[in-house]
Amino acid sequence: MSNIGNKVKIKYFGSEYEGIILESSNKDIHLLKLVNGYNIGLPKKGSKVKVLGKANIGLKLDSAPILKNKSLPNISLISTGGTIASHIDYKTGAVHPMTKPRELLGKIPELKKIANISVSEPMSIFSEEMNSEHWSKIAGFVARELNKDDIRGVVVTHGTDTLHYTSAALSFALEGLSKPVAIVGGQRSSDRGSFDGGMNLICGVHYAASDIAEVATVLHGTSSDDYCIANRGTKVKKLHTSKRDAFRPINTVPLAKIYANGKLEKHSNFELRHSGKVKVKSKFEKKVALIKYSPGMSPDILKFYEEHKGIIIEGTGLGHVATPWIESLSKLIKKGIFVGMTSQANYGRVDPYVYSTGRALANHGVVYLEDMLPETAYVKLSWVLGQTNNIEKVRHLMVSNIRGEYSKKSNPNSFLY
Amino acid sequence: MNYSIIGLKAGLEIHQQLNTGKLFSRCDSKLTKDMPDTLLKRKLRATTGESGKIDIAAVFETSKNLDYIYEVHNSNTSLIETDEEPPLEIDEEALSIIYTVCRLLNCNIVPFIQIMRKTVIDGSNTSGFQRTCLVGTDGYIETSKGKVSIESVILEEDSARRVSEDKNSVTYRLDRLGIPLIEITTAPDMHDPDHIKETAQKIGMILRSTGKVKRGIGTIRQDVNISISGGTRVELKGVQEISAINKIVNNEIERQQDELSMNRKVGGEVRNVKSDTTSKFLRPMPTSARMYPETDLPTIQTNFKKINSIKLPELISSRIERYLKIGLNKELSSMIANSSQNNIFDKILETKINPTLIATTILSTSKEIKRKLKIDSWNFPDEFYCDIFSFLADSKITKDSIPKIMERFTKGETLEKIVKDYKPISDSELKKIVSETIKENSKLPQGALIGKIMEQITGRADGKKVAKIIGDLTK
Repeated sequence: MSNIGNKVKIKYFGSEYEGIILESSNKDIHLLKLVNGYNIGLPKKGSKVKVLGKANIGLKLDSAPILKNKSLPNISLISTGGTIASHIDYKTGAVHPMTKPRELLGKIPELKKIANISVSEPMSIFSEEMNSEHWSKIAGFVARELNKDDIRGVVVTHGTDTLHYTSAALSFALEGLSKPVAIVGGQRSSDRGSFDGGMNLICGVHYAASDIAEVATVLHGTSSDDYCIANRGTKVKKLHTSKRDAFRPINTVPLAKIYANGKLEKHSNFELRHSGKVKVKSKFEKKVALIKYSPGMSPDILKFYEEHKGIIIEGTGLGHVATPWIESLSKLIKKGIFVGMTSQANYGRVDPYVYSTGRALANHGVVYLEDMLPETAYVKLSWVLGQTNNIEKVRHLMVSNIRGEYSKKSNPNSFLY
Repeated sequence: MNYSIIGLKAGLEIHQQLNTGKLFSRCDSKLTKDMPDTLLKRKLRATTGESGKIDIAAVFETSKNLDYIYEVHNSNTSLIETDEEPPLEIDEEALSIIYTVCRLLNCNIVPFIQIMRKTVIDGSNTSGFQRTCLVGTDGYIETSKGKVSIESVILEEDSARRVSEDKNSVTYRLDRLGIPLIEITTAPDMHDPDHIKETAQKIGMILRSTGKVKRGIGTIRQDVNISISGGTRVELKGVQEISAINKIVNNEIERQQDELSMNRKVGGEVRNVKSDTTSKFLRPMPTSARMYPETDLPTIQTNFKKINSIKLPELISSRIERYLKIGLNKELSSMIANSSQNNIFDKILETKINPTLIATTILSTSKEIKRKLKIDSWNFPDEFYCDIFSFLADSKITKDSIPKIMERFTKGETLEKIVKDYKPISDSELKKIVSETIKENSKLPQGALIGKIMEQITGRADGKKVAKIIGDLTK
């Protein structure tokens, strides 16, 4: 019989410990929460357990209905999971998604003074589990909320690992975007005093109430809790595994800086709020791939992709792969597969004309995607192929600047911003 | 004061820094006075604990809504201290030291240690919590007034240092954050201030006996828990000087008595001890609602075989007794037993040289020379002491030449070279020098004569021997 959740006294050799038995991933031990708050483990073998009664534990948060304030904007929050919507499961000690998005609002009481927030939850998953089906579903939810007249903007909460893929996906899937869409995450979980998602969410709500009609990521701008940066959804990347300010603009500068008090500093041009309705074009093609070339890599790997509809290569430097690849890529292109070239250098533009390899690749039909991020190119290709199978149209769309994924000029301030 | 009528019950909580790297990052644990490389500004928010309750102490801190400014020095701070990266595994050396301490305190050691997060949101921890783990329970120490129980022995991270504050912000330096601390909590088994003092001193002595704890101001901190009849426990934080315990305890008893006499509730609070030995309210007593598991680290399985094979260090108190027995006086015994150089002292004892000479050379002669030459950051290496005393044991130098040799060594000469100049003078040679000097200075009194001769032979012969020869020659 399981003793989990019971108040017990355990005798183990010379010692007696009193506490509550918690669930443990190690089946051979009793994980015990002592009266002083510390958890310890005792081997089941050799432990004498005396049950004292049932303990009352579990997370209870303020989930009382929040009253609407007519003078505040109405913002719709769409929760998809991730660290920002996680809490500690005290039974197992693991980090789990919050079951009720309202719990999040209970943790950040300031939000009640900024906006009337309604919450929906299409899914609750960590971002490494996201795929294009999830992008479609989120896009549908976002468009539905945006097209409500009384909703001023939308905030999507998301795990950070693939947040920048989803921001690109939403950028392409929402056509005629007339209101702001903020995508917000957190690098520290909400159980800690240093939860960064709190300020990110506050700034995200300010963004959603602003006049910037763009999909943008809204997270810390620095390691301090001073302001967030809103980055265009197609020009942003997670550049650090764990820092608060991991999301940086690539080949551009942020759209704006946003402070927790609502102050918004404009940093580049953006689309303005208007009255049109948003159309959803949320079909994504699954048979696309993003391939990172590494020195010595055999082109044989490309055989696996013969049944794909398109691939994006993350080449070296200005957009190169070793000579044996040229023929293999040419074969794919002849089969009608789109091949796009980006760079693994993170920053800068690819260029086929500087070296002969680039010229050969371009001559064989590899499309050079200028300063578009590899991740954005991957998402865009998936989206474009979801809209059309006509390879000429695909090539045309891939080189057109649809959602600000290309910069016409390279901003000298953008490197390592 | 009649403490038994008052119903005084006191317990101790002792925090001692370990002399290892930081507990969960591989950073140095050296404090710094340099200008910070970076400043960070953060906020902390109140969170709900495991039981779903927000800790009362946490609510108290958040209500102040302060900015926390952190001074970052790249020399001793990593992204772990700035709360930008998950912790690394626990420092092995610190763990081994706490196992040793647990054994010296007769504790049971926890079979599976889980690292916990203890919510602390006064800004002193960038994460909003302190990482801490329970390692030992149910121990005791012997005192002159009976056994004092040790309730728990805990290994945790030290907090950041408070540098300054104003109305809206508090500034902390991150150099201290993460230094391993051992926290030892006794049961409220003490009933008078002298006993508190004795217990604190004994625990301090046991900790220092490991040779692995930090020394100096701020490296050990004592909190005293005090209750009297009619009240509940009050925690007095930051007792720096053990010698002030009597005053501090008496002041607190008087304060509690005053409160009780006005029918006010006493207890359930943490107070900070001020330099005048009175105290001021700091915050409400935290509850167990502030503890939950550190999810970024696995539980640690205790290796009992390894722990039982740890060779326990000799306690400083036993060391002192041993030194008294070989003829060191009380003061020197205590000084050398407490010194980090007691190992080298023990080694040199094997040469059978007079222990007092060894102890004074290591403890005071070295200091005098450094003072004279105005050097403070440098120390004589252990090998130097070994070499110089083996030269002495082999009669290659005389003891009177030791200070001169040390001085020249400090200035950068090699020991081999210096020693050549201090070869002892043979008896016949010495006699010759003495008789010549007497001839040339026949009118000088004996004292001045000895001085003159000693100057000439630069410590290469014993003063007593010179006196004896003068006596023989002038008979």
